[in-house]
This record gives sequence, C-alpha cells and structure tokens, in this order.
Amino acid sequence: MEHRAVMDDMSPSPENPAPDNEVEPVAGASSVTSRRMLMLGAVGASAVVAIRPALAQTAGSVLNCQIPVPDPGRAGSYIALDGTTVPARTLGAFAPPSRPYTGEEVRQALQGGMLPNSNFLSNRAYLNYIRRLQRGQGGFTCYASLQMPGN
Amino acid sequence: MSGPRYRAAGAELLIVEPLDLFTAVFHRPSGMTHLLTEPAPQILEVLAGEALTADALLARLSQDYELGDAAGEGAAMLQARLEELEAAGLIDAR
Repeated sequence: MEHRAVMDDMSPSPENPAPDNEVEPVAGASSVTSRRMLMLGAVGASAVVAIRPALAQTAGSVLNCQIPVPDPGRAGSYIALDGTTVPARTLGAFAPPSRPYTGEEVRQALQGGMLPNSNFLSNRAYLNYIRRLQRGQGGFTCYASLQMPGN
Repeated sequence: MSGPRYRAAGAELLIVEPLDLFTAVFHRPSGMTHLLTEPAPQILEVLAGEALTADALLARLSQDYELGDAAGEGAAMLQARLEELEAAGLIDAR
C-alpha cells in the first residue's frame, strides 16, 4: 500500500495550479468545442492514496475484531449449509456457535482451517454465512478487513 | 486478446466527495478512504456507467477529454491508473 503514497507532485502552488484549473488553448476552429485537458500521469506516479483507518493500522486489531454468527439482529437463528440464516431448529441447519469468532480464527478457517467448536459441515455453514456478510451487519467490517492486503 | 473489462465498485459501496484538489472516496467494504487525483476520479466516473476494457476506456476518455499524453504512453499510463484503482478495490476487472 505504501508504494502508492506518492504525494510529492500533488502539492498546489501558485506557479503550478491544479490541473483542474488549466485551460488548454486550442487553435483553430476546434476552440469552440475545446475540451478539458486530462493528464493520465506518469506510469510511476500515483493517483490513488489510501488512508488506512485506525482499525486496520495494526494487524492485532484486525485479528482481534469479532464476527458474530449470526449477527445480533438475528441471534438464535440457525445457519444453513449455504450460509443463510433460518429459524431455530430447522432440519439440516446448524445451531449458532456459542461465541463470536475473532478475525484471526476466521482468517485461519478461510485458509483451510476449522473454526473452533465446529465440525466439517457446520464449519462450512458458518464460513458461508461470513462470506455473505453485507455492509451494516455485525462483523462485516472485521471480515472486510481480513480481505485487505497485508492482512 | 482485448483484456479484462473494468467496472467501478457499486455506488452503494462508495461515498465520493470531491474536494478542491482531491476526490475523497470512502470504500465501505474495507472502511478505507482513498484520495484520488486526476485522472482517477474521471476513470471511476466512466466505469461507474459501464464495464470497459482498457482500450475502450482510453477511447472513451479521449472523447470526453483532451488527452495530451495519450498518443505516446497513454495506454501504459492508463493501465497504471487502473491497477491502482483495482488494488484499492474501487474498480474490479473481470
């Protein structure tokens, strides 16, 4: 991520205004329809600078974040093999784990390990649930953090 | 041969806030904020509308903008921008 944090050439200065302000004179008849200049930049420069949130700044915070299965809004629901939540005691679905999983536990399971307190099938169900997490659901930010480079 | 098609992340996943010098883009899935300078916001805007190959994107940008450097290394530079945006999760290639 750090290799993209090149900002030296982005500082505004009176002599070197932002490209947005440049007006490119176009000679001849085409000046009527003169279009804005767009610089694609140099291959080695950067147009994208990432700001890492405090949450992700240390690996520890990501690995210690929690992913409840299911999220508190659906506490008590069972987890079907495909990861959907279903009413409690649905046949073929799995009772939720007794505690939230940590980011580290999920990271290891995603790499082929097993979630604690799970068996072959419930491990798959829980992981499928986690993979389906959407923004706004408990644990989503934690799961998303696991996807970030460097974690 | 034509390469992957690039598409911007869904609008519901992004908060885009143009600032004076930058465009700040908050990427909800990762919780990360990215500061974009030109041409990245313009690329993102085009790719929000449709999925395009790098060549098609270059053609589209040259319709909308005067690409002073497109004749020479334009394709390589655009590719570098696309790779940055993809690494940030703001666009994806498929």
